[in-house]
Amino acid sequence: MGVGTGPIERTRFESQMKTKQPLWGPRRRKQSGTAMLIAIFALLLISVVGIALVISAGTNSSLAGNYRTATSAYYAGMAGLEEARGRLLWKNPNCLVAQLPGMTPNCPNANFVPTAGVPPLPAMGLMEVRYIVNPAPGETVNPANLSPANPYADNEYETEFGWAVTSTNWQTTASIQSVAGVPNPSYKWVRINVATEKALGLDVNGDGVLDGVTPLVFEPAPTIPCPRPNPSPGLMVPSCAGWSSQTAVEALEITALAVAPYGGHRLLQYIVTPLMVSTSTQRPPAGQPMSADFPAALTLDGNGVAYTSPGTSGFMINGQDQCVGSNNQVYSVAYTDNLDGANIIREATPAQNYQGYPPGAGGPPPPPSKAPATIANANLTPPTSLIRSSWLEPATLDATMQEIVNSADVVIPGPATGATLMRRVPMMSATNPMTIVVNGDLNLNGRNTFGYGLLLVTGNLTYDPDASWDGIVLVVGQGVFTSTQTGAGGFTGAVLVAKTRDSAGNLLASLGQASFSSTSNHPGFGINYNSCWVNTAKGPLSYKVLSFREVPLPN
Amino acid sequence: MASNPRTARGFTILELMIAMGIFLVICGAMFGLLELSQKRYSSESQLSGSFQEARLGVDQILRDVNVSGYPSKNLFSNPLNSNSYAVSPFAWEPGYNGANSNNPCQVTLTCNPTPAKFDLIVETDINGTVSWIRYQLKNTTLYRSVVAKSSINPVSATSAAAVMTPFVENVMNNVGEPLLGDIRAQNPAMFSNGPVPIFQYTCDTPSGPQPCDRVAAPYNAPQNISDIDVTLLVKTPDVDIETGTIQLLELSGRGHRSNRAN
Repeated sequence: MGVGTGPIERTRFESQMKTKQPLWGPRRRKQSGTAMLIAIFALLLISVVGIALVISAGTNSSLAGNYRTATSAYYAGMAGLEEARGRLLWKNPNCLVAQLPGMTPNCPNANFVPTAGVPPLPAMGLMEVRYIVNPAPGETVNPANLSPANPYADNEYETEFGWAVTSTNWQTTASIQSVAGVPNPSYKWVRINVATEKALGLDVNGDGVLDGVTPLVFEPAPTIPCPRPNPSPGLMVPSCAGWSSQTAVEALEITALAVAPYGGHRLLQYIVTPLMVSTSTQRPPAGQPMSADFPAALTLDGNGVAYTSPGTSGFMINGQDQCVGSNNQVYSVAYTDNLDGANIIREATPAQNYQGYPPGAGGPPPPPSKAPATIANANLTPPTSLIRSSWLEPATLDATMQEIVNSADVVIPGPATGATLMRRVPMMSATNPMTIVVNGDLNLNGRNTFGYGLLLVTGNLTYDPDASWDGIVLVVGQGVFTSTQTGAGGFTGAVLVAKTRDSAGNLLASLGQASFSSTSNHPGFGINYNSCWVNTAKGPLSYKVLSFREVPLPN
Repeated sequence: MASNPRTARGFTILELMIAMGIFLVICGAMFGLLELSQKRYSSESQLSGSFQEARLGVDQILRDVNVSGYPSKNLFSNPLNSNSYAVSPFAWEPGYNGANSNNPCQVTLTCNPTPAKFDLIVETDINGTVSWIRYQLKNTTLYRSVVAKSSINPVSATSAAAVMTPFVENVMNNVGEPLLGDIRAQNPAMFSNGPVPIFQYTCDTPSGPQPCDRVAAPYNAPQNISDIDVTLLVKTPDVDIETGTIQLLELSGRGHRSNRAN
């Protein structure tokens, strides 16, 4: 008998065989429940923790996402407002308004926004509404579809005006924001329309009534026959008797709706008005020239101003408007302090070179004997001054100049020369006039170039009559104009010199001793007043933002 | 067939010990992971809560700054009274009287208490009412008070306890000891230039926008403030359970006022 074949051995063997049954045996299956439960429990626990973390991270990232989209909607809305504000300028290549005749660019969509006059200024009716729409690719944006299913419906208009936009003369044009490869800002539409008291929710004239049908205007010269207790330039309701402003311009409301992906809505609103360079007042004194933007070909704005003339026959300061078709006349030289009159009159020789107001109306140039009278005494305080009160105080004049700086095409730090000027603005031409600011001194000696548009020099202007300028020249700041060179050029338009700052650059308490000195033997032709060039240069330089607000949305 | 006690043999002690060992290791790892997850969850949720609070805070401040000064006086030809318009986007003290802007203080020099590094009063329209909104940091709480513009001095009007609402808590911009010491022990580079201003001001000048503290009068007047950089340094309510360190987050933004003083 061999090993393992006896009964004992067999039993052990059988027992071993039974103990070592396979894992998949029926007995094992009964015992495996606990491990499975523990494993499931563990998995469950880990899953719960994991899911909680995922949810937390998800919530946090969607909160951050909401914040981001709401913020991006805000900036998209601003982009919309700025597009509309920019395209209201006739100088914009994509302008929506009538252009100044003969000037570039040729806007593809001129006259979209109704304008009138030269330069073209807004003349929108109460029921005129214009939209710039900016749909995403494949999308339709129709703000005048007021169906609740339209996410871009303009219900805000009715809230402001009391009637639906569908009952107005509304038109749309496309945005110019599309640049290949760059996503559009996510604003959907920008609306341009007039502003009323009711639309703004502001009782502008304090009469206790929110007028819903009279478009508001902006009055830059607050000396008007209507009661205007607020002495600063601003909005007014042009409804009182006797109101016949030559200076007020329509104020426009620009509203932009931006909708970011995932629903961030923002509705932003500007009130804008054209910014123009003009000293014109509402109502000039009886018998004095009306509606000229500058009172004279040369305005010496200040106290103790000095005028030095070359006294040669070729040098003229001519207040007779050289614009073809105009018989208007302004003063030859205007000054704002009575005490300066005698000195200026003494220098203004020969008298026939200082022609201008008052002539025989529409007649030939005045005889030389009238020469002293052609020099204006504009030292009249508001409301009857020929010059806006804001041009008679250093602080307000400085603020006016700051507006020009902010909307200039080019700001050149001084000291600069004619070469700097031409290097920075090679594109300036008679059909593309520009607004140029030299922040400091400008020395044109040795230059033989033409300039067109508006030139503001805050330091000293050293002029060489080989160069010429068509438009408006403002020497405001240090207020020193000097010309000692020879040449045949001059200024066509208007020149104004004012001293607002001392040599250290601090604002003066009152306007200082501005000086205009031309002492060469061949000083050029001088200054010819030209309302065409003044109109070209005076702007609108930009659309000034009178107010900005975010309109609360109902949802 | 019924179970045979001789054949239903139990586990050996070795088997049990191995099984227990494996079980314990797995359980230990699992609970370790769980604890770690809980700690992380706790600290992350605190951090995200603080982030959210700070984000809302910065967003609200920037919105208020952006629309400050509305409606300005130049929107009226005949305002009913000085409470119907905003004289200036930002009120100031001393010298502000709510009706004209001719007596300004100098930002960062003589303006006290506002506008300053930790104190700002925005004057703007809220639902048709010209109001003052004041943000003021007291210890580690940034308060927001909103009151309708009135003839009362804006600083007094917005200082009443009844109108001061805690807006963002655990703000560390101007923290004092002992927290300051704890934060610096953790990160010595922090606060090396002193407290971190919540509000930093940029002023309009003839040569363009400049930090107000580098601008001379009159351009450093509160009416000339054009932009405000807002920085909020916020701590989570508790320290990080895992590391025991203070968790700080910094959020910043820039507000630009479009309405001018006049």
